[in-house]
Amino acid sequence: MSTDELLHLKDVKKYFGLRGAPWRKAGAVKAVDGVNFVVRRGETVGLVGESGSGKSTLARVATRLLDPTAGTVEIGGQDVTRVRGRKLRPVRRKIQMVFQDPQASLNPRQSVGTILTTPFRAQGIRPTRAQLVELLRQVGLSEEHLERYPHEFSGGQRQRIGIARALAVKPDLLVCDEPVSALDVSVQAQVLNLLADLRDDLGLSYVLVAHDLAVVRQVANRLAVMYLGTIVEEGPAAEVYSAPAHPYTRALLSAVPVPEPGAKRDRIVLTGDVPTPIDPPSGCPFRTRCYKAEDVCATVRPVLEPVAGGEHRVACYFPESPADLSSPPLSERTP
Amino acid sequence: MPDLLWFVLRRLFATVLVMLALSLAVYLIFYALPADPARLACGKPCTPDRLEQARHFMQLDQSVIQQYLAFLKGIFAGRTFGEGAAAVQCNAPCFGYSFPLARPVTTLIVDRLPVTLSIAIGAAVLWLLLGVTLGVGAALKRGKLFDRLAVGFALIGIATPSFLLGLLAILVFGFWLNMVPVNGYVPLTESPVDWAWHLITPWLVLATIQAAAYIRLTRAQMLEEMNLDHITTARAKGAGERRVVAVHGLRGVLVPIVTIFGLDLGALLGGAILTEKVFSMQGLGELLISAVGQLDVAVVVGVTLFSAFLVILANLVVDVVHGVLDPRVGHA
Amino acid sequence: MPDQTANNQGATHYNGSPRPVLEVADLHVTFKTEGGLVPAVSGIDFSVAPGKTLAIVGESGSGKSVSSAAVMGLLPPNAEVTGEVLLDGRELIGLSSEELRRIRGNDIALVFQDALSALNPYYSVGWQVAEAYRLHHDVSKKEALKRAVRMLDLVGIPSAEQRAKAYPHEFSGGMRQRVVIAMALVNDPKVLIADEPTTALDVTVQAQIMRLLEDVQAEFGTALVLISHDLGVVAEVADDVLVMYAGRAAERGSVKDLFHRAAHPYSLGLLGAMPRVDLPPRPRLATIPGSPPSPGSITTGCPFQPRCAYAHLVGERCITERPELTPRPGEGYHEAACHLGRRPEVML
Repeated sequence: MSTDELLHLKDVKKYFGLRGAPWRKAGAVKAVDGVNFVVRRGETVGLVGESGSGKSTLARVATRLLDPTAGTVEIGGQDVTRVRGRKLRPVRRKIQMVFQDPQASLNPRQSVGTILTTPFRAQGIRPTRAQLVELLRQVGLSEEHLERYPHEFSGGQRQRIGIARALAVKPDLLVCDEPVSALDVSVQAQVLNLLADLRDDLGLSYVLVAHDLAVVRQVANRLAVMYLGTIVEEGPAAEVYSAPAHPYTRALLSAVPVPEPGAKRDRIVLTGDVPTPIDPPSGCPFRTRCYKAEDVCATVRPVLEPVAGGEHRVACYFPESPADLSSPPLSERTP
Repeated sequence: MPDLLWFVLRRLFATVLVMLALSLAVYLIFYALPADPARLACGKPCTPDRLEQARHFMQLDQSVIQQYLAFLKGIFAGRTFGEGAAAVQCNAPCFGYSFPLARPVTTLIVDRLPVTLSIAIGAAVLWLLLGVTLGVGAALKRGKLFDRLAVGFALIGIATPSFLLGLLAILVFGFWLNMVPVNGYVPLTESPVDWAWHLITPWLVLATIQAAAYIRLTRAQMLEEMNLDHITTARAKGAGERRVVAVHGLRGVLVPIVTIFGLDLGALLGGAILTEKVFSMQGLGELLISAVGQLDVAVVVGVTLFSAFLVILANLVVDVVHGVLDPRVGHA
Repeated sequence: MPDQTANNQGATHYNGSPRPVLEVADLHVTFKTEGGLVPAVSGIDFSVAPGKTLAIVGESGSGKSVSSAAVMGLLPPNAEVTGEVLLDGRELIGLSSEELRRIRGNDIALVFQDALSALNPYYSVGWQVAEAYRLHHDVSKKEALKRAVRMLDLVGIPSAEQRAKAYPHEFSGGMRQRVVIAMALVNDPKVLIADEPTTALDVTVQAQIMRLLEDVQAEFGTALVLISHDLGVVAEVADDVLVMYAGRAAERGSVKDLFHRAAHPYSLGLLGAMPRVDLPPRPRLATIPGSPPSPGSITTGCPFQPRCAYAHLVGERCITERPELTPRPGEGYHEAACHLGRRPEVML
């Protein structure tokens, strides 16, 4: 294994126990159900999926914020699945997380200076003021912001502070969970550009967890599509966006509205909702909503297999070929 | 619903275990006390012979575990203290025998219960009405005079000890204005009017104290509820303000109020000690207090267990009612 | 839909559309707070005709949601609303609360963003839809429930009769939004105001809901006011667009005017800032510096001036003088409030 592998998840599962009313029986939410996932140096991997797909849970398992139910987590070539407490500190220097809601993830009673000092302290370092100012400068803020408190900032600025905090320990990999979904469109673009700049300047790699496929297309060079706790398709972003092989990816992409009045689009409107991850369908998790589903789909869950021999892989018995994409699916169903 | 039945059965089973543990704990605590109930019963002068006789009669010469087991057996089979003509019979369910009062504990509790029930239930109805009405009013008139008065009233209610308020009420309404009787209890079966007339002051005193918490709780819940999106939806549907409050706002406040109410009532049924003392009412609280003074272990254990049972039962009822009132309970 | 032609006094309307069913003119909303008066909406005009869709676009604090609440008369008592809100020619501002109550949910209905919090958790969905009907029709509970079930079926809730007995938390997000739409449509309203109706939904479900709204419009001729920040959704469903910034109209026009001939630097900025799923990534997204102003913080000049990339081309005027809406080339009524008379060069 080369050290170029910043993150390697092997057959990771994460189940959550269900606690209902005392007189009802408990079950388990299979949030992540057998995922293999690799991030190499220099990559920006988009992890997309709808609510309940398990993408955020996967991000938390990858950053060791959650313990996996099964499988292993390797960070920087080292198995850290069982590493806990203090011993996690060197791991945290390699991988950091940026959260969706900067309002909730910054302590309102701490000044920006204190917020930025905390990650240094965790590594046993006393940062100089110059170091803190440099962090702020990297995210487009300045020295005058050091003494202020989170409530004095706008949403976009708060997200910059969240990014600066993650950068403090000079990580190789930043896992961003919906970093722009709470922001206004005009501010969202600023943060996306900042992420791109940091990648170029600091050589950072990213896992970008998002539900907005347009946002991911703008920054990711690799894409992984999740559905009901599994990755159903992954590959180079350009390839997946232009020629999605999984019917789900195709439907997902076709559903995103485009700011182009009168644009003719072959929209595939899926019927129904994502099934519950407590009791997912047998075989292919997508078969209950799939316009191509046949009997075989209900038998064994399809595994990721290369499309046309490349890095592009899809878990489907009947993947779309580029020829299919020019015409709408035969059995398009509408509600 | 079979789910619910199972839940209730499981909880009742747990209740039995808790009661067992509790009764044992109470026994151990009183056994550890340096005082000797037999000495009190033996009177003065008390020869060692007589003391030993008394001990034997009261079965205090046995080990604590033996006494406890005898107590448990008594619940199902009844007990007999002493032998022959002097024997004292305590029929099942026997929760012990009070020698100072020369009555079985079960009889004592059953005798005293109507008094406590009358005080507690009457006061509860009053404070619920008072608390919820004032609380809702205060929330709807937030910041206005009504709100300030209601919140001020609540503050006074919370800050005033019940015996002080009780004594004041007796002084003002009983002696100065001579409007109400100052003490005593008339059974409901004897004369409903006299019953209520004798209880009106304790009811008002207890209700004032308790309503305070309900005003604050209702006000806070109502303010929160009226800010929720579904209230705006109700208005957007074309519901009038009165309907919005009564049908949509109050519905959400009901759940926490009922929860607290059930627990409060359960606790109060075990005896409103101070109120009963102040108004000289022979309720369960008064029974417990005098029993403690006389080291009447049997009564203390009996009343304590009975109160604990009421609290546990109230918890169970509240849980079930909660599930009925809030459709979201019982789902992931 | 009542015939309004008799009432049409020759007013000119956009695109030769039928007479608008909802006309809002010079709407002002000011909140009285402890910190003084805070203007949230400062003079906006819009109208929407039967079967048409008007999109109101803006970011947080633009006043778009306050405007819709003002039209519905749903603002808290500390809000002062002035201007004209005409529904079928009838002035709504100044009506008694009882008169307003009869209109709300009957002639104008509202669909919220978050269906879970918009529904009452303690009542079954059938009851809630039926309640909306009973509030405006003198019918028995049974009849109202029948009507509710028919509506739930119409909006695509499978086995509506059984599902009507279920509670909101027992539905998925998409199905809940359908319930909310059924509740809004149960009285066959003339105007439907949808405030970010799909923002809380997944994209595949969003597509279902937008299609449902379009079907409903086609079938009932409902006028739709769509409040949204998502330009993609707007481009797909809107006929006309109003872009709001800091409580004022920045630009308005037909959907094509806005997306092909945007004249206000703010509209252009929004379009440039939006990442596209249908195009390869750009080296950089265009950005608007800074963030939207808080209501009432800008009192003179153009509210967008501090963030505007073109203000230097105009100079002092942007700081001292507030720009009014002036006509721009387009499909007839395209207007923008910007001192830069010509269309700005696109700086992507």
